Amino acid sequence: MTGNRKGKEQKRFTMQQTRKRMVLRFPAETVNEPITYTLIRNYDVMINILNADITHGKEGNLLIEISGEKENVSAAMVYLEKKQVDISPVVKTILFNEHACIHCGACSSVCFPGALEMDPGSRQLQFTPEKCVACELCIRACPLQLFELNFGVN
Amino acid sequence: MSEGPIICQDMQKSYQEINEKIKAGEAVVLTAEEVSRMGKELSPAEIAKKVDVVTTATFGPMCSSGMFINVGHPSPPIRMEKATLNGVPVFTGIAAVDLYIGATESHPENPAYGGAHVIEELISGKDVELVAHAKGTDCYPRKDIRTTINRERLNEMVMFNPRNAYQNYPAAVNSSGRIKYTYMGSLLPRMGNINYSTSGELSPLLNDPGMRTIGIGTRIFLGGTTGYVSWYGTQFRTDVEVNEFGIPVSNAATLAVIGDARKMDPSFIRAAYYERYGVSIFIGIGIPIPVLDEEMALRVMIRNDQINTRIVDYGDPDKPELGRITYESLMSGEIEFNGKRIRTSSLSSIFKAREIASILKKEVASGRFLISEPVEMFPREKSLNSLEVRE
Repeated sequence: MTGNRKGKEQKRFTMQQTRKRMVLRFPAETVNEPITYTLIRNYDVMINILNADITHGKEGNLLIEISGEKENVSAAMVYLEKKQVDISPVVKTILFNEHACIHCGACSSVCFPGALEMDPGSRQLQFTPEKCVACELCIRACPLQLFELNFGVN
Repeated sequence: MSEGPIICQDMQKSYQEINEKIKAGEAVVLTAEEVSRMGKELSPAEIAKKVDVVTTATFGPMCSSGMFINVGHPSPPIRMEKATLNGVPVFTGIAAVDLYIGATESHPENPAYGGAHVIEELISGKDVELVAHAKGTDCYPRKDIRTTINRERLNEMVMFNPRNAYQNYPAAVNSSGRIKYTYMGSLLPRMGNINYSTSGELSPLLNDPGMRTIGIGTRIFLGGTTGYVSWYGTQFRTDVEVNEFGIPVSNAATLAVIGDARKMDPSFIRAAYYERYGVSIFIGIGIPIPVLDEEMALRVMIRNDQINTRIVDYGDPDKPELGRITYESLMSGEIEFNGKRIRTSSLSSIFKAREIASILKKEVASGRFLISEPVEMFPREKSLNSLEVRE
């Protein structure tokens, strides 16, 4: 399944496509507005919600991956700014306490994007944050609880 | 075994002869991985001549573990009937101030914290809160106590693990439609991954499958210090199918081990929590195996491609066997099963097992760690009963 999706995405990206991962911080007054619906319908962008922390009537945080044609993504950004949504590009979404790792590898088989892999020679765990999609499966898979979700931004 | 025992009359070494070499600093000591590589070029006879001791190791989650402590008597004294350490209940059904901390016991309000964490903290030298209650007796009048204990204040800290170092263990998949959180880790739906637990060719009981040199009294590396095999482990069994290399293809032999936890190193005893399963503990064990003759040489030469295990479905409560697989395939990171590529995960750390095997190698080679002949051998034949449900 993952393989097929990757293939399609690669095809799309051959034509002036872009993909960005960001945290959207909604002011209290916009929390009840259907912002993702508007983005998808009016701007023809794909939204992948990686994490949501929204309470009605309060400020909310949404970790998303937005992809589509470059102009559409830019127009979507303008729309979000107009709605006073604070946009922060994401640097890292999963924090890994590497120092305490015992290199068992329990996290590696649940990591479908391949951000966590065992080095076949050294048998040590290698974390490649660029490949991470913050699916959070590693958080539960790690017996030492060394992963945590980070809403950290630039 | 099909080829029968290969015993060469003129190539026999006794425990005493090997120990004399160790004391003189002349013993040739290799890790089990090194001897497996050597075995690709040399014959068992050549290895028996060349190598004296092979160090094996494992560092995996081993639930059946715990620690006896004696906390000392307060004044006035108490005969503890209920006790907790950092909120984790501990066993008090022995004498007044003797306690047993079971590794998998969890904190009633925090399932991710348990006996294993208390053990790790005590070994690390941290303070731990003790709360105990009693009814009060004529000889032990105190009814309540709340205090802190630590490594320096305890009279004894003895790790005693009833079942460690499983000889082999089935690999786990999940054929059901939803993720399963198990003691074999997170198992993704529709066989999205496969998890296994072994150090393979480094594993102690896979390098001496007939237990010729491992028995009651064997001196071992346990948690960073010297420990001993105290008995065969619980659920020890011998009536298991073996492959053409004499390796049981399923869970078979186990070890009960004992050691002085006060001297242990927290980097070889690590508390663990498996989502929705509970607390467990990683235990580092290393066992030196003397190469007494060609037959032992043949055993320690075992390689990951010669060791296989069953694949078991945790998506079905009966855990049916779906197939067999070698550890060489499992350790490659991905296997092909029923026409599907499946990512693999180990639960046991090979990186740490290598560290233990090389520490033990240095200890033996430098004359500090002598090998020991078992005081008594394990049972040659033993099977298991299941629990009958009687209404």
